[in-house]
Amino acid sequence: MPLLITNARIASENSPDLTNADVLLAEGIIQQIGAVLAVPEATRVIDARGRILLPGMFDAHVHLREPGFEAKETIASGTGAAINGGITGVVMMPNTQPAIDSATVVRQVLEIVKCTAQIPVFCAGCVTKERHGKELSGIDGMRALGVKMLTDDGDTTGDPAVLMRAMQYATEFGMFFASHCEVPELAGPRALNDGPVSYRLGIKGSPACAEEIIIERDIRLAHATGAHIHIQHVSSQLGMESIRAWKHRGDVRLTAELSPHHLLFTDEDIGDYDTHYKMNPPLRTRADKEALLQGLIDGVFDLIATDHAPHTPFEKSQDFTTAPNGITGLDTALVSLHHHFVATHKFGWNLIVKRFSAEPRRLMGLPAAAIAEGQAVDLILFDPAATTTFTRDFMQSKSQNTPFLDQTLNGRVDLVVLGENILLER
Amino acid sequence: MPHKDLLDIASLDRSEIDHLLDQSVPFKELFTRSVKKVPALKGKSVLMLFYEASTRTHSSFEVAAKRLSADVINFDVARSSITKGESVRETVETLQAMRTDFIIVRHSRSGLPGQIAKLTRASVINAGDGAHAHPTQALLDAFTIKEICPDPAGKKVLIVGDILHSRVARSTSLILQKLGVEVAHLGPGSLVPRLCENIRRFTDYPQAMAWTPDFIYLLRVQMERQDVQYFPSLREYHRLYGVTEARLAEIRDRGLYIMHPGPVNRGVELCDAVMDYERTLINDQVENGIAVRMAVLYWLKPGAAQSS
Repeated sequence: MPLLITNARIASENSPDLTNADVLLAEGIIQQIGAVLAVPEATRVIDARGRILLPGMFDAHVHLREPGFEAKETIASGTGAAINGGITGVVMMPNTQPAIDSATVVRQVLEIVKCTAQIPVFCAGCVTKERHGKELSGIDGMRALGVKMLTDDGDTTGDPAVLMRAMQYATEFGMFFASHCEVPELAGPRALNDGPVSYRLGIKGSPACAEEIIIERDIRLAHATGAHIHIQHVSSQLGMESIRAWKHRGDVRLTAELSPHHLLFTDEDIGDYDTHYKMNPPLRTRADKEALLQGLIDGVFDLIATDHAPHTPFEKSQDFTTAPNGITGLDTALVSLHHHFVATHKFGWNLIVKRFSAEPRRLMGLPAAAIAEGQAVDLILFDPAATTTFTRDFMQSKSQNTPFLDQTLNGRVDLVVLGENILLER
Repeated sequence: MPHKDLLDIASLDRSEIDHLLDQSVPFKELFTRSVKKVPALKGKSVLMLFYEASTRTHSSFEVAAKRLSADVINFDVARSSITKGESVRETVETLQAMRTDFIIVRHSRSGLPGQIAKLTRASVINAGDGAHAHPTQALLDAFTIKEICPDPAGKKVLIVGDILHSRVARSTSLILQKLGVEVAHLGPGSLVPRLCENIRRFTDYPQAMAWTPDFIYLLRVQMERQDVQYFPSLREYHRLYGVTEARLAEIRDRGLYIMHPGPVNRGVELCDAVMDYERTLINDQVENGIAVRMAVLYWLKPGAAQSS
């Protein structure tokens, strides 16, 4: 049935101003946008007064854990969490079990996606077999099945010669590289910034330079080989400054992402060993956090990505050193960004649309979703005046390892429509 | 407010520290009597849960508990299913069923005693966790210093050695600061972090001595805690930071006191002659450890609401 959304305030990536209009959807296409549209026969009408119409978000960095770690998350539950959070497309990282390092595994994952996911799920492939950093993965076989991003995410590809060869090889096929940046010998196994907090807690910290060195290394390898390098989840000010400087030079194909948690929290939030603030790269200082926000506003970061990393309550209830790294983000990202930044006028909806919807799709070679006549329907309706309480029941991820657990934030995703399907309605 | 647990020094305020140190005095006086036991904790049980090898701290707690007439149960971690992959949570649930009143925990993981404390109604005493905290060591150090200087405010304590990996350095520095004592750290640059507020940092022995400390507190060099090499050799460490015979002469001239949490590495932190120096307080520290642990056991309230 056609759907007419009336009195919507439409957000776009190009302007902070919202446009008031009615939007008519039918057969999976945005048929018409106008000031006051007549209601065609047999059309459902949703009055969106006061609410904001946005293209669906796209998360270029998630861990869906299937196959191999289904107690943490499945493709079904993870994409359910995405829809719950207004996200209509995701790129899943290849650190599953088995790792996504060959056409065989890609095929297996795509089969699960086809059977259980209601939104597009793209696979990233490993740079090296089993992410061991030694032998190259089945690069062309994965490419033939649509893999575009290569990454050993969770770890750095330790040997620069291996990464350089992979860049020389796969760039010819139009693939690009995403880097989780850390020198393992400096970072150690502990996801905690090296500083007063790590000293107080008596856990050896990981210094920011452990991340910054590999950011710089991998950009230089891309510069030398002509590869496109995408720097994942930057956490430190100096890491960001490297990216800014190289973008200013303009002779390397370089993109970078920022996670909501590095924008929102610092190592001081860990308090008394709260594992909901343990992730890798770790939360750093207030100065880093503020610099990252400025970097996002300045355009140093191309996109926001959650690094959604579900873990079971048992795993996260272990001591800080033993508990695994990562927090969930799909259910919470959009509302938390609205609550902390849009509602407080740190940046506008155009930044959200550009960095959390349009640019991540472009990174994956997809057209940006937009609210425009003739476009395929891929949109969400967001109520800035409502609130969301992130209870265990509310969140659709199988895991609830998030600092937002049981918090109430301003904003609510009310409607998610993709093609002809209403995936969520509140 | 009564505390259920003693996990670190940060959660004690000045009046609580003073109270514990004052309460330790009558317990220490007991040790000179022919009967060293009081019935204060008769019928209560104390479980010793030591995941990390320890002779001194373990015995000290055991003696303290027995002198208070508590029953002591040793949970043999090495022979339990903990080594077979049982999680801490499951172990604690098992222990909970034993309904002990106190659990004394030592573990190599920072923060783990605090986790156990959240899972049990028993009073948990941290007997050392990773590089985080060792609160009863800090109390006995403060008590030992107060025996020499009843009002220690303004005195200077130089802590020497591996500050980075040391829970003793953290807890003892903190308690001394809370008592108004000035604290400085001395050691190899790779082992003395620059992160401690209000603590002077030295990497050169003569400069540290020019600061005119009243007490020199030597930390045990623990090679086993070091994942990579932090200094070239024990020989070089002794030459740069150890109390050599020449340095002992200077220390004796100035009348400084020497402390060490034990066990000592002769020829590393100190030369043999230090053990016979009349102002070496190492044996006092051991004896005082029992008294302050008795005071802690007597003070904590099992089943009280969590303090931190």
